[in-house]
Amino acid sequence: MLELSNITAGYERGKPVLRDVSLAVARGEAVGLLGPSGCGKSTLARVAALLHRPDAGTVVLDGTTVHDYRHRAPRALRTTVGVVFQSPRQSADPRLRLRDLIAEPLKATGRRIEIRERVDELAHAVGLGGDLLTRGAHEVSDGQLQRACLARALVLRPRLLICDEMTAMLDASTTAALVAAVEAYRRETKASLLAVGHDQVLLDRWCDRTVSWAAPSAA
Amino acid sequence: MTARAIPDGADPAAPALSVRNLSVRFRMRGGAHVAAVTDASFDLAAGECLALVGESGCGKSVLASALLGLLPANAGLDGAALLDDGTDLLTAGERSLARTIRGRRIGLVPQSPAAHLTPVRTVHSQLAETVRELTPVPRKRTGLATRAAAERAAFPADHLDRYPHELSGGLAQRAATALALVGDAPLLLADEPTTGLDRALVERTADELRRTVDEGRALLMITHDLAAAARIADRVAVMYAGRIVELADATRFFGEPGPRHPYARGLLDALPERSFRPIPGMPPELGDLPAGCAFAPRCERADALCGTQPRFDGRTACHHAPAEDPSRA
Amino acid sequence: MADIRSIRAVRPVRDIRPNRSTRTLRVGASAAVMAAVVLAVLLVPPLVQLDEQAVDLARKLQPPSWQHPFGTDDVGRDLLLRCVYGLRVSLLVGVVAALAATLIGTAVGAIAGAFGGWTDRVLMRLVDTFSSVPHLLLGIFVVAMFRPGVWPVVVSVALTHWLSTARIVRSEILSLRSRPYIDAAISGGASRRRVAVRHLLPGVLPQAALAAVLMVPHAMWHESALSFLGLGLPAHQASLGNLVQSARGSLLAGDWWPTLFPGLLLIVPTLAIAGLAGAWRDRLAPRRRSELML
Repeated sequence: MLELSNITAGYERGKPVLRDVSLAVARGEAVGLLGPSGCGKSTLARVAALLHRPDAGTVVLDGTTVHDYRHRAPRALRTTVGVVFQSPRQSADPRLRLRDLIAEPLKATGRRIEIRERVDELAHAVGLGGDLLTRGAHEVSDGQLQRACLARALVLRPRLLICDEMTAMLDASTTAALVAAVEAYRRETKASLLAVGHDQVLLDRWCDRTVSWAAPSAA
Repeated sequence: MTARAIPDGADPAAPALSVRNLSVRFRMRGGAHVAAVTDASFDLAAGECLALVGESGCGKSVLASALLGLLPANAGLDGAALLDDGTDLLTAGERSLARTIRGRRIGLVPQSPAAHLTPVRTVHSQLAETVRELTPVPRKRTGLATRAAAERAAFPADHLDRYPHELSGGLAQRAATALALVGDAPLLLADEPTTGLDRALVERTADELRRTVDEGRALLMITHDLAAAARIADRVAVMYAGRIVELADATRFFGEPGPRHPYARGLLDALPERSFRPIPGMPPELGDLPAGCAFAPRCERADALCGTQPRFDGRTACHHAPAEDPSRA
Repeated sequence: MADIRSIRAVRPVRDIRPNRSTRTLRVGASAAVMAAVVLAVLLVPPLVQLDEQAVDLARKLQPPSWQHPFGTDDVGRDLLLRCVYGLRVSLLVGVVAALAATLIGTAVGAIAGAFGGWTDRVLMRLVDTFSSVPHLLLGIFVVAMFRPGVWPVVVSVALTHWLSTARIVRSEILSLRSRPYIDAAISGGASRRRVAVRHLLPGVLPQAALAAVLMVPHAMWHESALSFLGLGLPAHQASLGNLVQSARGSLLAGDWWPTLFPGLLLIVPTLAIAGLAGAWRDRLAPRRRSELML
């Protein structure tokens, strides 16, 4: 599903935050990527989501070798991957109500007809009920907002889900609820998962295998 | 545990912090009220760490801010929060809070140390300023005292001349802890000190805080990280929907027989090392709490009795708490 | 037992912000002044069927009185009426020019910020070039190319005032562009245009609108300066700058009212707009739950 080979990437020329890293996620597989903070695993997640152009290395996503990133990547390829980031506050457009937040990818890809059905279905799946969908991002808690961000990542039915420290700021119960929602989606769609995090116990419990950052090229 | 100077007028038997029936209400636009903290009571002794746990939005940060006098203007307070010399933090004026309490009687270990430090000044200059401000050390010996303060938080002396952005997350946390310890405050308040840190760093931070507790300080640690709480706390208070629903010894809470309140049990069961099963539903809005037990809608043991507010008996607030085994009580 | 319904009167917490009542007073006074100014310029000319150009040489240079609260000028025209007409023209020029400048500035800043690379470099050097010429000089150059009138003044103001807005909007967009929610939008299939229009631009609009409001007084002063130099509106048309300019002579003769009142009408609305914009800026930061610490 995803093959990252010899990736070197960074934000400043000559100062890569990660060097020569390889990682593969098979179809339907859940891989945990474990590493300390600041080691570059989030950058690797952004490369895998086609959001950051690596300085070197190849990315093969769903059998297609990736040449372009961000807006230049073909839309169909981009939407193959769903992403959830660490901070829900930072990853939600502050002007949108939760319903619009979840529906945004459907609008962006011209699939407005599906909005009503998909949004309600996903809101139920991630446990957002009542009037929460009509509220703005600043009117809900971090946990509720992260549920909406997960729903947004799932709304286009991605075949690969990347969760970058998705639960690092959440309490135990919300963590368990979000992981359960991800797993329910994966059971239904056989989607792959790359879960990036620093909690070994969590990743071991969640994923089929866990790769440690110290030896990621061994994967 | 080393002997510590007790301020004049302090009752040696009095707890370092005694919170009695603390309530905080926010007045919202349109006259609505949000019950952020309701009727919270607990004691905290010197040399003890109490972890206040609960999910985001349960009111635990509001409680901390109330103790520091840092609530916004639309907040109203009730109850008392007494230091060992009888000072009530809730009625002390801003002037005495700033001059004699913050830093001197209560040290704050912040949530994001990197943001807590001034980015344009070195650790040394910030630490030295705090030393001059909070201790009677003569000007000539400030340098020595500064290095001693750094050492107390295990901050390496050769890193003192660095700027905050040149520090790793762990060292920034130690720098912030060093700042909190300068005034030798008998009470420390740590607000989510481990959020966003990786596991190894969480454990190191927790161990360092534990060391300051073993030196005789009292520590109130506010966190949603149960693993960090398990590592450091002597006692655990669980907050739900603005109320303390469980107050227990850490060994009992994390070990056998476990928590008494179904919410606390659910929270522990949700850990990946346990059954990894979420508590169904979501916590209620603090502005729109149900009449009875706030946890009843999510609780499998709820019945008609739960329509009335359960009383907090000093251990738990649940109509269905298991009967106490007298040998363990 | 403190139940929610039976909660006793809770003690109010110290308000650590600057004195609340002075703040309310300032905003209230600013709002009242602006309401009066807008009502005056909108309602007085159509309702009061008086000719502001009516000359009455028998009553020239009369000090303020009940009949002429602002006095009369050197040909006996009522200064209150002329000030209202002048304020109307100055305000109109100020608002239109500020809107035009904001449109240009927002467009340039947004394009520079959203596209980056060469587009950004070329546009921002253009901004630098414009900035390096003194505003008034550039403004004079523009009006000198046309006959005196309202539109050359508007163009002159707009061309000299869009630069700061462009800078504000660009830097704001650059900071928004690195947010994870933009990453999330891209990953959700949003096109470059959709990201710019739906996610970046709405984020900077409040800033741009605030800049526009603060620019209105700037534009009014710029217009007055041009008119004072005789380069703005035609001399017979009442504008605040023209009024001050034509009264220069009488000031030397000791007649203070023909310069004082137009000057005050320039200063007071400026302060009122600044007061309102300040209050607005305080509220602009989105009220987050975290600020309530919930």
